[in-house]
Amino acid sequence: MKIRSCISRLALALTLGLLCSCQKSEPAAQTTTPATATAATPTPASAPVAAAKPAAIDATAPVAIVTKSGVEMIYLPGGEFQMGSSQGNPDEAPPHKVKLTAFAMDVFPVTHELFTKAQLPNPSHWQDNPKKPVERVRWRDAKQYCNERSLLEGLTPCYNEKTPEWVCDYAANGYRLPTEAEWEYAARAGSEADYDFGDSGKLRQFGWFADNSEAKTHVVGQKKPNRWGLHDMYGNVSHWCEDVYSPTYYQGSPAEDPTGPPSPGRDVKRVLRGGSWKSSADMCRASFRQGQRTGDTDACFYTDFCGFRCVRRLAPGEFANLRAPAK
Amino acid sequence: MNCNRFRLPFLLCATLGIAFAPGLLTAEDAGPLKSRLGALPYKIAYETYVDGNWEIFVMNPDGSHPVNLTKTPKVNEHYPQISPDGTKLAYVGDVGEGRDAIRTLYVADIDGQNPRKIADHAREPFWSPDSKTICYLDQEFPKFQVIDYYTKGIEFYDLATGKVTPHVNYTNLHHLYNPGFSKNGKWIVSTVHAGMGYGHAILLIEAHGTNIINLEIPGCRPCLSPDGKQIAWGAGDNEIAAAPLDTDAATPKVGPWRVRIKDAKEKIYHVDWSPDSQYLSFSMGPDGEGDLTKAGTFQAACEIMGVYAPGWNLAVVPAEPGRTIDLLSAGPGDFTLITTNGLSNKESAWFRAGTK
Repeated sequence: MKIRSCISRLALALTLGLLCSCQKSEPAAQTTTPATATAATPTPASAPVAAAKPAAIDATAPVAIVTKSGVEMIYLPGGEFQMGSSQGNPDEAPPHKVKLTAFAMDVFPVTHELFTKAQLPNPSHWQDNPKKPVERVRWRDAKQYCNERSLLEGLTPCYNEKTPEWVCDYAANGYRLPTEAEWEYAARAGSEADYDFGDSGKLRQFGWFADNSEAKTHVVGQKKPNRWGLHDMYGNVSHWCEDVYSPTYYQGSPAEDPTGPPSPGRDVKRVLRGGSWKSSADMCRASFRQGQRTGDTDACFYTDFCGFRCVRRLAPGEFANLRAPAK
Repeated sequence: MNCNRFRLPFLLCATLGIAFAPGLLTAEDAGPLKSRLGALPYKIAYETYVDGNWEIFVMNPDGSHPVNLTKTPKVNEHYPQISPDGTKLAYVGDVGEGRDAIRTLYVADIDGQNPRKIADHAREPFWSPDSKTICYLDQEFPKFQVIDYYTKGIEFYDLATGKVTPHVNYTNLHHLYNPGFSKNGKWIVSTVHAGMGYGHAILLIEAHGTNIINLEIPGCRPCLSPDGKQIAWGAGDNEIAAAPLDTDAATPKVGPWRVRIKDAKEKIYHVDWSPDSQYLSFSMGPDGEGDLTKAGTFQAACEIMGVYAPGWNLAVVPAEPGRTIDLLSAGPGDFTLITTNGLSNKESAWFRAGTK
């Protein structure tokens, strides 16, 4: 699939929709049960998300939006899904039902272009193209970006920078890192397979990983998106999550909006998801978990596969101020 | 004597809540190296956090007679750099908190008097060998960031005229930190992080041209010796190294490492040469990411300027070739702490005393 072909399709869908005076968007393909959905109607993966319109938003399906500062996101309705796997590593078990509140997630990992726009020093190794994802990002660097983007858009930052671990206010309307559960929910896009598209045989079409990356990052959006319109969920750069990593967390994690175990303080590992340019296909699986030291006490953090993308919760009625990607 | 003899009194004092004056040592701690240092005609400037504020102090090389040069409760001073002729002090001062803080470059007399503002959003000053020019790095963006490589370009401030001239290769200089001039004035040595096509490197940058040489040594924060023949640098979080470097050569190259200072337990950073190139001073202390309860401080790796580093002190070792000094077992002839209060003592800078 060509770059951002999904967006083109969205624009086409919007145009056709207007021409036909259609008042309702197509629901996305999903096997999960969105919390507010009445009946999920499976649709082809090639038409994954509806285009947002100033009015008449179907909030029971994923919706493409553009933020005030021009960042493309997908609104994901809340729902319940099967998190984890009994077929993977021990830390992925047991698979368990998790219910999530709706949230919006960046379509792409945060790029050099966006990081610089927030007036932050870009720590990345590969800076040859502004549309490559940032890497070598410490966990707190990622959180700082979230706060800066919140301020840029007049939102309330989620992270309290005056607390040692920058405590997250999940009720704030600003940007933050996804929880591990939010990340997996978004990556699965309604599937219970290893990847939302099936097995690893098709991974080359969807991600940059050890077998095709040539040992470097790549411009975001060059591979196919998942069924909910999210690009680079598999490979390219791994994604920091908010949660503390614990290999046994799934044995007793909350069933609703889990946010990870409490921080043990020093030497904490946080969750990284999604695999990267240097990962095997197995490490790119939707349920694969990795714990990584945050790098926050390193003056120079050399881990050149650590990237991230942002999420936020939208207030009721906020759709009216958002629009679909213009193409 | 080993370093634990210094650490134990500090821990006891910290436990009892006793506040020592910066640099104060008891007589019984003094050892042979300390005696030699006490006889040297030099001083050491450094930054420390006292009474809720960063200040610049000066002391004797053995740690005696610390004097606060700045005494400004509303400005947080850092990164003292003394002119080679020993008459002027360049430093930065932070005002404000968080992303609204402003870092400003100042120059003052060597006793801290007559401070003069040079530029806002300016960082990490260093002196030309003739003491006529203060060089500095511009801040990358107006919004404050504590990260040390948050810089762009190099500027030259003429002390006599006040004229600021950008480096001829200004637009290609990005994310430098910890720069310093070579004795011959031909080169500027600096670390680069995530800039100029380098992931991380220590570079020689032609002072008045566009030539750049990657010295291909691991680590950061290089410091060229006053005799013009050596380079010392942080080879890792727990190691400082020194090696020959002839900056008069057409293409300078780092020779075999011949001094290695190691501490498997604590971080060691911010190396600086004594004026005779015979001693090395540095900062050392536990890993950490700051203490946000301290006003005027930031959260990041504790070796970064502006981050409070609890338990950090300054130390000196002889820079004798062919030596590996393990700080956990070094004797009194090889190693001495010159501050013991642990009040985030960092960025030592030697100079010749009494030159004013």
